[in-house]
Amino acid sequence: MAIEERELETIDINVNVGPQHPATHGVFRMILRVDGELVVDLEPVIGYLHRGAEKLSENCDYRQAIAFQDRTEYLAQFNAELCYVIAVEKLMGLEVPERAEYIRVILTELNRIASHLMFMGAFSADLGVFGTLFMYAFRERERMLDLFEEISGDRMMYSYFRVGGLAWDVPEDFVERTRWMVKEARKGIADIDGLLTENEVFLARTRGIGIMTAEQAIDWGFSGPMLRASGVRHDLRRAEPYSIYDRLEFDIPIGHRGDVYDRYMVRLEEMRQSARIVEQCLDQMPKDGPIVAPDLKRVLRPPAGEVYMRAENPRGEYGIYLVSKGADKPYRLKIRSPSFCHLAALRDMTIGHYLADAVLILGSVDIVLCEVDR
Amino acid sequence: MADETRAEEVHVVRDDPAIAISDVVPPELRRRIKELSPVELHPGQGKALYRQILPGVLQVPADAIIALARKSSLWPLTFGLACCAIEMIATHMARHDLDRFGILPWPSPRQADVMVVSGTVTKKMAPAVKLLYEQMPSPKWVIAMGACATNGGPYTRYDRVLQGVDKIIPVDVYVAGCPPRPEALMDAYLQLRKKIMEDRSKIGR
Amino acid sequence: MSAAQEHREPGAKEAPIVPPPPGSIADKFKKVLPDVEFVANQGVLDVIITVPRQDIPRVMRTAKDDPRLAFDYLRCLCGVDQMEQGLEVVYHLYSFKHAHNVTIKTLLPSDDPQVATVTTVWNGALWHERETHEMFGIVFEGHPDLRPLLLEEDLGYYPLLKSHPLAEIEESQEEFLREDGKQ
Repeated sequence: MAIEERELETIDINVNVGPQHPATHGVFRMILRVDGELVVDLEPVIGYLHRGAEKLSENCDYRQAIAFQDRTEYLAQFNAELCYVIAVEKLMGLEVPERAEYIRVILTELNRIASHLMFMGAFSADLGVFGTLFMYAFRERERMLDLFEEISGDRMMYSYFRVGGLAWDVPEDFVERTRWMVKEARKGIADIDGLLTENEVFLARTRGIGIMTAEQAIDWGFSGPMLRASGVRHDLRRAEPYSIYDRLEFDIPIGHRGDVYDRYMVRLEEMRQSARIVEQCLDQMPKDGPIVAPDLKRVLRPPAGEVYMRAENPRGEYGIYLVSKGADKPYRLKIRSPSFCHLAALRDMTIGHYLADAVLILGSVDIVLCEVDR
Repeated sequence: MADETRAEEVHVVRDDPAIAISDVVPPELRRRIKELSPVELHPGQGKALYRQILPGVLQVPADAIIALARKSSLWPLTFGLACCAIEMIATHMARHDLDRFGILPWPSPRQADVMVVSGTVTKKMAPAVKLLYEQMPSPKWVIAMGACATNGGPYTRYDRVLQGVDKIIPVDVYVAGCPPRPEALMDAYLQLRKKIMEDRSKIGR
Repeated sequence: MSAAQEHREPGAKEAPIVPPPPGSIADKFKKVLPDVEFVANQGVLDVIITVPRQDIPRVMRTAKDDPRLAFDYLRCLCGVDQMEQGLEVVYHLYSFKHAHNVTIKTLLPSDDPQVATVTTVWNGALWHERETHEMFGIVFEGHPDLRPLLLEEDLGYYPLLKSHPLAEIEESQEEFLREDGKQ
């Protein structure tokens, strides 16, 4: 006797992936409407970490605002600091000495590797592999954090870049130490590559998930690895070069489909390219020279004007819109954060996927809540 | 002959009033009973009577053993709010391992013992923090990690920021730093363990 | 002293308007939209074009659709409190096709801060406009969902306005509880 099919009356339920959740990378809340396991609607709720970095930056001078940049983008601090100090330097028309430029780019690219390592760790935790890859990624990251601590004094919030150059010179063994560390980082990247890239389960879980076509990505304001994974050839270091990036040779990894797997591959390859950039900079760097622009006053008063400086952060296009009215404090400091723009499109990326994929898609966006909420 | 019991052969002294201490303790030891110090917590106390009768058995007050069990297996709620969360994760990782203290991050508040508030608590997030604290069963402790959780930190002048998490929940240990080093967080856990042991008389009240 | 006081003091200057060089994006705008009155200024990195607010929907739609301009990418949308002059909305645009960029600004009066939305042109403006609304009070007409994004509902004030002060440091818990009961 065949069992006859009956139409079951089902209702959709609202699942609250609340502000405290091991998979939300911080205090981010998603209200998912699910039909069984299929996501039918999604509403992201942000603002649980809105601390007013923009308002507070209007009330401290240009040098103190560097500390707020660190805390806004807490995984790629040197990238955020670089964008900010270059914005002020452009406003003032300052020229930064060569050695300082090279050291800045070396530290920025090392920080990009460290940020992508954290992504690898957190992404694998989302997959369910809490443990192995997280430990591997942090092993490499700790080495880099040691070097950063020796140079700047802090493991995470460096405040080392200054308008016009650097705060102080790097230690004497910086070049050899960095060369050794890049070699070790390459081994670490190979470890991660070996664990995930051709892993059957990883491929099954991440291929074809969270697809964003190139037109959609441009319309939503994507940037960085999210945009490149969708096939758009756009890297700010090539399209609108700043600092000394026009002298360096590196490739830009581009994805085909715009799914979660492509985003992972783009970030993995970006780590290798960053290692390449660091090695070139170490070769080209002048052995000695000034590390800060000459004749800088103690209290900076840039001339009145405005600038929108954009830099290529590990997450995407980090923008600083700085309005100055000639005072010693910024008049308006707007931070354009890439994760904010990516999260706006989370709904379109996730609808039609399953609940487990929703977690993976959020993980692939690589959000940093402090810059989403500022 | 078979009825003669020697001190070395006694395995169990049951709480039987029929068996007097004088039946099992040899005469030379009976003299030393008066000199023996009272039973203390440290198991290395060589002179205690019970060590002579029952080697390998530890006798401690109940609150001490409960406190020892609680402090050796603190399961923190995975509650990373902001930048301090990265240092908290780094403390759990291989270099500054926290697992050796029995500390295992646990996602659900219903089975967690300690809540490490790592990061700024905003007024939008405050009800969620309070709800999580109330969802944790007793005994529970709170570590306020970082400057933001202690008193608002660098963001204290913004009006949407709660100036310290102790405005809504009671805090046991404060950790200074922005963010505190992993060693500082480890030290906070060790201080919390000391506090649990010192406050052991409050257990059950 | 608060930021608002300091910027009113002597020493606060406005930047002079420098006309952009010929052949810049301002000339292209002039060719595509000859009847729109705008002021072009050569900023540090981009050309800044200030248009009156009633022309914003037409300018934005043309900027995206016209093949000579092809601004398909909205980088950033933010507000600036210019105090006596009003509230300013700033749009930063980029074109992937021609690899050129422009900054478009519009000034709104403080008592009537309304401007048309650009969410019909670029999807990315959805969240930017929500945030600008809750921080400055600028109303974007036609926006599908202008609820607060980062702040709680019904807050009653706009934090990023210069007239809104910084918080005082609370010395004790009673102060916090008192303020909490007041809200």
